[in-house]
Amino acid sequence: MVVAGIDVGAATAKAVILVDGQMFWDVRPTGFNIIKTSNEVMAVVLEKAGLSMDDLKYIVSTGYARNSIPFAHKSITEIICHAKGAYYTFPGVKTIIDIGGQDSKVIGVGEEGKVNNFVMNDKCAAGTGRFVEVMATVLEIDISEMGPTALKSKEPCQVSSTCTIFAESEIVSLRAEGRSREDLIGGIHKSMAARVTIMGRSVGYRDEVVFTGGVAKNIGAKWFLEQEIGLKIVVPEEPQIIGCLGAALLARAQLGQ
Amino acid sequence: MKAMENVRAYMRQRPFELKKLKDGGRKIVGYVPDGYFPEDLAWASGAIPVGLIRGGDHEAVERSAETGVLRFLDSFCRAQIGYWKMEEPLYRLPDLMVVPILENNIKIISDCWEHAGPGGVFKFGVPHKQTQNGFKYYLYWIRELIQRLQELTGKEINEAALKEEIDLSNQIRDLFKEISQTRKSDPPAISGTDFITLNHASYLYDKRDFLKVLKEVSEEVKKQTTGLPQGPRIMLTGSTIALGDSKVIDMVETAGAHIVIEEFCEGIRHYREKVEPNGDLVEALTDRYFLKKLPCADCRGASLKRFDHLISLVNEYKVDGIIWYSMMYRDSYDIEGFYFAEQLEKGEKIPLLKLSSDYDAHAEIGPFRTRIETFVEMIKANK
Repeated sequence: MVVAGIDVGAATAKAVILVDGQMFWDVRPTGFNIIKTSNEVMAVVLEKAGLSMDDLKYIVSTGYARNSIPFAHKSITEIICHAKGAYYTFPGVKTIIDIGGQDSKVIGVGEEGKVNNFVMNDKCAAGTGRFVEVMATVLEIDISEMGPTALKSKEPCQVSSTCTIFAESEIVSLRAEGRSREDLIGGIHKSMAARVTIMGRSVGYRDEVVFTGGVAKNIGAKWFLEQEIGLKIVVPEEPQIIGCLGAALLARAQLGQ
Repeated sequence: MKAMENVRAYMRQRPFELKKLKDGGRKIVGYVPDGYFPEDLAWASGAIPVGLIRGGDHEAVERSAETGVLRFLDSFCRAQIGYWKMEEPLYRLPDLMVVPILENNIKIISDCWEHAGPGGVFKFGVPHKQTQNGFKYYLYWIRELIQRLQELTGKEINEAALKEEIDLSNQIRDLFKEISQTRKSDPPAISGTDFITLNHASYLYDKRDFLKVLKEVSEEVKKQTTGLPQGPRIMLTGSTIALGDSKVIDMVETAGAHIVIEEFCEGIRHYREKVEPNGDLVEALTDRYFLKKLPCADCRGASLKRFDHLISLVNEYKVDGIIWYSMMYRDSYDIEGFYFAEQLEKGEKIPLLKLSSDYDAHAEIGPFRTRIETFVEMIKANK
């Protein structure tokens, strides 16, 4: 049974095809034209799998643009999808921290990957990938270097954790005061981790904690989150496609598999 | 339902009808429908009470700023000021505004209407504790209000007229209760949309016409079902559910869930408590409106009583999940929301979803839809 999931978020669009125990996937920036990007990402994955659109028996869409995907059979929210995808990858998951390009979520997971509680921030850039991006621009450093540099910090700066714009000017002031690059970047990561941790307290943190979303690829983010929540965190091999994988699994479930 | 179509048509023409009545010499009394204004007094004095319950428009929230009012104030309360500024007919018609003041947000409506708005405002404080002293204080102000209404209409409120109004209101309460009972079935016999619309209509309708409507609805509802499939049973609660603010209700029903019961300070009538018209009628009104009625979140020590009440509703209506829908910056409800979440976590473990609105439909629809759809899916999966 060949099924697919498509996750079109604010920053990136992902597609996953599941066929005969194999998984094919792709990630690309969402850009301005959602329909165009959805078609593109799906076409790329179909090519990787050596299949055509007609081979797909069921497609589930998720992400903030889930209701705009013309070829999807059903749309399911990204929270439900993340829980399914994380559970499939780590059956012991009890908490998911998902930090994407423009939002963050903490999800409490119960039996069989069912959601039993959730909280999300989709209003504010603080505590999201955008926060890290903005700071990388201010400090003129490539985004891929942010995580490793944060880990070198000896005394992370105290940075306002409630607003990206205020934090930006704080970083500029601290830099002028002569604080080291490592400490500035450490402070940025600490701030993001604190913001997300506080938000998730109403859900609670229980072992195993799985970190998903594009920001999970940032080793600095992982470390600082572990400090804040006091638990070890596991990161899937491809954290960015967990929601999409969940969508594909739910597509399979729709067909009674 | 045919009766509901008639209600919607009536509500569309009611502002014009009120204008005609006013031109013909009737006095209109506008009021903040927080549940503490005994409308029977207005009816008995010959005036027409109109509950000002519009909401949902971000423009109204923004326009309130023209009066100098603070940005970080309850969205519904700011909208009341804004609607007057926008010359909404219902807000411009009243000859007198009555504002029973429970807390700072409502007080500011009365301040703005007094200084930057229509002018004539009768405001009085509602004591925060349901004690005998509070009763005396509230009764004192009700008597002052009677004077004011009599001055307005030039007609004295006589006992017979007041008794008649009280009886009709009690009949309306009984019918609301009857209709509410039909929502205990699975699926409920009347939708949340329709039941909430009836509540909103009750603030605008001619009372005798409304009684007829409720009887019609009650008859129709007993004969038919909504024809909808079973789905998660939701209690909707919070501070305010305004007329024109249907996005949450729509999204819940579109997601396949049913709103089976509500509890709000503004927007839903407290139909469970009746007036016992024995002895002094004014005292009987005060007893029901101040001592008997479920206190709202602003009242000291009300939280335990209110929490117990919500849990009893959960059991009565077999509720699967609670959606806490509050206006932004309504502090007393924010605090209560935290308390309730804690209590639910410790005890009954009923799923709770908290939503907070600034009437910014454009920005809120996406985020709300994600949360509501997830909540409904969550309940379905765990049932």
